[in-house]
This record gives sequence, C-alpha cells and structure tokens, in this order.
Amino acid sequence: MQLVLSWPVRLIVIGLLVFSLFVDGAGYIYRIANHYPLTGNVSGLPPNFGGWQLYIHRGLDLAGGTHIDYQLTNFPAGQSRADVQQRTIQVINKRVNALGVNEPQIRGAGSNNDRITVDLAGVTADQAQKTIGAVSKLVYTKWVPDAKVTNGPEPGYKPAFTGLTGDDIQSATAQIDQSGLAWVVNVSFTQHGAGIFDTLTRENVAACPGDPNTTATANCAQRHLAIFLDLTQKDIDSWEDPAYVGKVSQPYDTACLSAQTPNTICGKFLTDPITLQEISGGNATISGSFTEQSAKDLATGINSGSLPVDLQVLDVIQVGSTLGAESVKLSLAAGLLGLSIVVLFMIIYYRVPGLLASLALLFYAAAVLAVFKVVPVTLTLAGITGFILSVGMAVDANVLIFERFKEEVRAGRTIPAAVDAAVRRAWPAIRDSNTSTLITCVILGFIGPPQVQGFAITLGIGVVASLVSSIVVTHNLLAIVMTGSSLRRPVLMGVDRVRPL
Amino acid sequence: MWIVSDLSDVNASQQTADIVPEVKPKEQPAPQPQAEPRVRKLNIIGRRNVFFAISLLIIIPGIISMVAKGFLLGIDFAGGTEFTVHFPGQPSVAVVENAVAAENINGSVIQTGGGGYIIRALPLTPAQQKIVEDDLVRHVGPMTIQQVLEVGPTIAGETIGRALLAVVIASLAILGLLAWRFHNIPGGWRAGFQFGGAALAALLHDVFLLAGIFSIMGKVLGWRIGEIDSLFVTAVLTVVGFSVHDTIVVFDRVRENLRVSQRLSFEQIVNLSIMQTAARSIITSFTVVLVLAAILIAGGATLKGFALALLIGIVSGTYSSIFNAAPLLVVWRRLQPLR
Repeated sequence: MQLVLSWPVRLIVIGLLVFSLFVDGAGYIYRIANHYPLTGNVSGLPPNFGGWQLYIHRGLDLAGGTHIDYQLTNFPAGQSRADVQQRTIQVINKRVNALGVNEPQIRGAGSNNDRITVDLAGVTADQAQKTIGAVSKLVYTKWVPDAKVTNGPEPGYKPAFTGLTGDDIQSATAQIDQSGLAWVVNVSFTQHGAGIFDTLTRENVAACPGDPNTTATANCAQRHLAIFLDLTQKDIDSWEDPAYVGKVSQPYDTACLSAQTPNTICGKFLTDPITLQEISGGNATISGSFTEQSAKDLATGINSGSLPVDLQVLDVIQVGSTLGAESVKLSLAAGLLGLSIVVLFMIIYYRVPGLLASLALLFYAAAVLAVFKVVPVTLTLAGITGFILSVGMAVDANVLIFERFKEEVRAGRTIPAAVDAAVRRAWPAIRDSNTSTLITCVILGFIGPPQVQGFAITLGIGVVASLVSSIVVTHNLLAIVMTGSSLRRPVLMGVDRVRPL
Repeated sequence: MWIVSDLSDVNASQQTADIVPEVKPKEQPAPQPQAEPRVRKLNIIGRRNVFFAISLLIIIPGIISMVAKGFLLGIDFAGGTEFTVHFPGQPSVAVVENAVAAENINGSVIQTGGGGYIIRALPLTPAQQKIVEDDLVRHVGPMTIQQVLEVGPTIAGETIGRALLAVVIASLAILGLLAWRFHNIPGGWRAGFQFGGAALAALLHDVFLLAGIFSIMGKVLGWRIGEIDSLFVTAVLTVVGFSVHDTIVVFDRVRENLRVSQRLSFEQIVNLSIMQTAARSIITSFTVVLVLAAILIAGGATLKGFALALLIGIVSGTYSSIFNAAPLLVVWRRLQPLR
C-alpha cells in the first residue's frame, strides 16, 4: 500500500484532477463570457489545440437528427472496394454540405466495405434522403449553332447531348500538373466512355483546326465540350430564353436541386473547357486558372454526378429535436438523482469514510467528463446509462472496502490498521470483478450492436476511472484524515467499538 | 504486489484467529452479541435445495413462455417503420386507429398519453412515409413527429445476431477469467473451472430469469413494458456484469478463507464466506435499486422498460450469487471431490 500512498501517486492524481477541471470548466467560462450556447460546437472554444475542440459530442438520439445506414451495391468491377467506398463517402459529403449540417458524420462500415453510415444532426429523414439519394446525372454536351441564343456560356450556340454521361466516367481527381505549378483536374473514362470521347474530340478539332493558343480562328464554340449535371431536354429547349439560360448556367447548386419544385430553375453548369487535341486514351486533363480549392470542387462535382455504386437504404432513424432535448433532461435528472441518493446513503451509513468516498466520486465525475471530451466520445442515451451504472460500480469498490473495514475493527484492529487491512484484502475481489466488467466492455465494444457499443465505451471508461477514484483517491483521503486524531473517533468512522490504542 | 504498510499491527497467525471463532457461534458465544449481525447464524448451504427450488419456480415458467410464445419484439429487432408522434389536439385512440387502418400499411397504434402515439407499420419508403404523415395530419389533425425509425430486415437480423454473439462470448470470457483467477487454490484448474462454472450458472440464471419474465410480461400478459429491443440487451449485459461482481466477491472470500482456515470443511467455509459478504452485496444492490426505482418512477417512457429490466436483473443477480452460485459450488465439490 505504500505505493498507492506515496506522494508521486498523489501528485499524479492531483494533476489529473486539475487537467480534468480545466477541460471541463474552461469551455464554459468562455461560453458564458461570450454569450454562446452552453452546449454543442462553438468556434474558437477553449481548450483548443490546433483546431481540436473539446466539448461533449451528443449522439443523434440526444441532439435530434437523422441516421441512415446504406448498403452499397453494384460495385464497379476491377476497382478496390475500399477506394470505391471512399469515393462514395466523398460524394455524399459533397451533397450533404449543401444542407449546412453541423459536423455531418459519414463513415464507412461493413465487413466488406459495403456499408456507409450517415449521421446528420437537425435534418429530417426526408431532406437527408432526398439530398444523399438524389441521382445527379452528369452529361457532356457539345455546342450546336442557334442564332436565337443570346446568353449562357456560348452565345449563338445551344448544347446538345452527346451520349457521354457520368456512367462513362471512372473518376475525376484534382492534382498538380507535370510542371508542378498549376492545379488541373484529371478525368479518366471507362472503355466505353473513352471511345465516345475520342470521337467527340476528333470532331471538335475538325470543326476549327489549329492550335487555339496561337490561332484565334481555332477557338470556336464547336471546339468546346461542356459538362452539366442534371441537364434535361426541357432545359435545352428553353435555351433561347436569356433569363432561363442565365440561371441554368450558374454553377451547380445541390441545395436548390434537392428542394426543387417544377417551377424553380437551378444552376446546373460545371465547366466548359476547349479541346486542345484529339484524346484517344480515355484520360483527359482539364486545365485553366484553377486554385487548389476550385480544382477539387470541380473534381468532386464531376464525381458527384457519378456515384460509383447504387445506394440501398437499410435503416433510418429520425429523432425530433424536442424528443432529444427531453431525453437529455430526463437522463440528467436521473443521473443527478442517482448520484445524490448514493452520496446521501454513503454519508449516513459510513460517516467520514462515506464523505471521503463521495468526494472521490466528484473526482471520478470530473475525470470521466474530461475523458469524454478529449477522446471524444459521442454520448447517446445508452452511453449515459453506462456512465450512471459505472457510478454504481465505483461505489461498489468503496462499499467492499468499508464493509471489510468494519469487520477488521470488529476483529480488534485499531482504526488505521483496519483501514490498511481492508484496502489490501478487498483488492483481489475489486480487481477480479472489475476485470470481468472490462472484458465484457471490450467484447461488446467490438461485436455488440451499435447501440450497445456506446454503452460499452462509457461503461469501460467509467470502470477504469472508478478504480482510480475508489482505490487511490479514497484511500489517500482516508490516510490523510487518519493523521488527525479527532476524526479517528469510532462514531465518525461508522464502527461500533474499537480496541484502545 | 501489495506491500504491507507499517500501519498494520496484524500478522498472518492473527489473521486465522480473526475468522475461526466466528464459525462456531453456538459453542463460543461472541463477547458482544449486539456487534455480531444476526445474519451470521443463517445456514444457507444447508437449505440450498429450498433456494434452488425458488429459482426454478420462477425460471421454468419463463422458459416455457419463451419456447411457446417467444418475445414481444421492439422495432429494432422486428423490423418495420415506427412513428412517434404527438397530436396537440389529443385525439382518442379510436380516431388514430381508424386513420392508420385506412392507410393499409398493417399498422398498429400504441397510446403513450397526453396526445402521444406510437404507430408501427411495415417498412416504408421515404415517399410512403410522407404520404402516411400527410394523411394522418389530414384525418386526425396537426401533429409533431418526434421520432421515425425505419429498420430493414437485414439490420434487424444482424442486431439480434450480434447481441446473442456478444452475450455468448462475454459469458465464455468470464468463465475463462474465473478459472484462471481461481486455479491457484488447492485443486488447480479443476477447482478453477468449478468456481468459473458456478459463476457462469448464476449468470445464466439471471439471463434466463430476466428473459423469461419479459417473455411472460410481453406475450402472456400482453404488457408493452415486456418488449425487448437493443436497450433490453444492454440491460441484460449490465445485469451479467453486476451478478458476476457479486459472485466474485463471495468466491474471493472463499478463496481467502480456504487459505487461512484449514480446519473448516468446504461447506463451512462457503457458508462463512456468504455471511461475511452478504452485507456488501445487499448494500451495493440496494443503492443501485434506489437509483433504478427513481428512473422507473420519474424517468421517461423510453427508459421505463429498461429500468424495470435492470431492477429485476440486479435483484436476481444478488440472489443468485448468494443463494445459487455458492451453494452450487458446494454441490459440485461433492460430486467431484478435489481434496
């Protein structure tokens, strides 16, 4: 026991406590001082380590929002499934960004990279599914003369479908070109797409031959191939209306399209590059005055028109924000009620040791909260339950020690000796029972259903913290109190009789 | 690993002396009877068959109900769509039921009070959900949607499978841990597996008792609180954790007493150990029961079934550790003597 009662251990515990209180408290002081809401993400919130912010992440059942599990089907042949899954996640991310969701969670799942889980706070299931599941169709168009067209990317011309679509694109990536100076977007086509693209570019060059960089006549509208998303025949038929074209030629607008009604006109335009030469290998490069961001945006835009897989909905959970807020209130109330009952009971039944154990519980609560913020653990209803139950287990270790303490006193030991013997002899039971709980937590965390995993994580963290609080903190506090002889009286220690010193 | 501090005034020979007088209370009355809790004189091992019978009396009807009737499954196990809605107009059940029946979605309606309803139906596509929602507003009145769950059959099957797998693997791990922890006593690994096996039996007692009672409540009595879902699985696992805690505390005491009191028979040692740890087991469970009772009375509707499951399970867990696990260890020892 000398190890536990040594000053280095005490200093570590005090350090942990100070760190926990800092992590728990600093954010709230900042929030109150700046009149920010007391929960959720606030930019610039301290403690802030290089953009890593600490606050309690609430799960959807507490925050309200939508959770969807998708099954990916129709994987393209000959590509790594992990890559395809990543690309699909990027596309979904891009689409979801249009909703303005705070911290969308889009994760790959499934043993075979065949699942994607989406968590969106504050969005209804209807909105979410419309946005994510919306099949944007990417089309390549060429330009055909129409003298009545006065507006748009190429006045005097209207677009025409070429048969080349998003289905023919394998992927688009933003990268730095060979000179190492400029950002470009590389587009690679499938075999089928490469054939069409070859024909189109040959026709482009034939329309006005020459090098467009040096010969002015070589830059004609027919030498361009434009990319639109969701462009319909109706749009093309309306190309002579300048107001209509002005709107359709705006950059592609996901938010507008997901809330589309028959009368709204949304931007559908992506890019309209000129063809420099015939391209037969199926790999095209779009260059221009790109920044890193604009190149990446274009690549994502092209990819978003081509989800590489089909998405099939497995399950949807939509929680209203009122229900979430109510759950938070109820579980907070249950937690506080439980904690106060436990504290009251411990103090009445065990007197001074009970009071010290209650103080240790406060250390425990502060430490666990700090761990939840630092990891960070996303708190769900089941997770809060795990936390409350770990309080029960924290108390259990103390009850074991204190019952043993009473026994040792009854057997005739002095109070300090009884404390020491109680901690030492209660230890094997505490160690074995908590090990079994930790093992259960690890198993549940890995193979349990998702709802149970949150429970396992908080319970596991709670058990570790409770071991520290009940063994190290309580024992040290007891040892310190024991040095004051006035506190060593049997009535304060909750024991009936004691052998005179 | 534990260094005896200089505060200790007891040596090993005195430790034996602590315990031996307590086992023969009739021959050697304690010097101060009021200091000795009365429970110490109970002979639990001697009346073990009574305690086994009590457990079986509750578990067997439960198992019959489980086999014959199964469980009332929550939405995440059964699959389908569940709307949790609130009508500020507080319509009657009949009005809502009529509106749902008109939808032809095989729907059922559960009233949660204060204009709150839960509507269950087949799995619906988002478009179908929207139609149902719109129709409800048209036929019943304005409503707020608090929660919509849609669980496809794939996920439902997977949740059940993973939950069962988790319980089985966790049980085996606990058996292994106890066998390893207790193989250092006389009898070696065989003794270790006796301890682990008895703990596992107590654990299964709690799982079957809890599942049985919920099967009876859900299917025989038709109470909605007997519905089982992921939260119920969480409750079962928590109960398993607590039950094992209680059992380990008793067994740890048996291990300690085996070392220090060589003169006692195995039965006496086990009975003594139960008596020495009963106060702790009951106090710990009592604090947890207080918290759970608070949740059961004051908590929200979603947590009530969960709190009830924990309440039953924790009481059962404490009972099984004291009255089943330890007596079972004695029975096992008789059938398979080690010393």
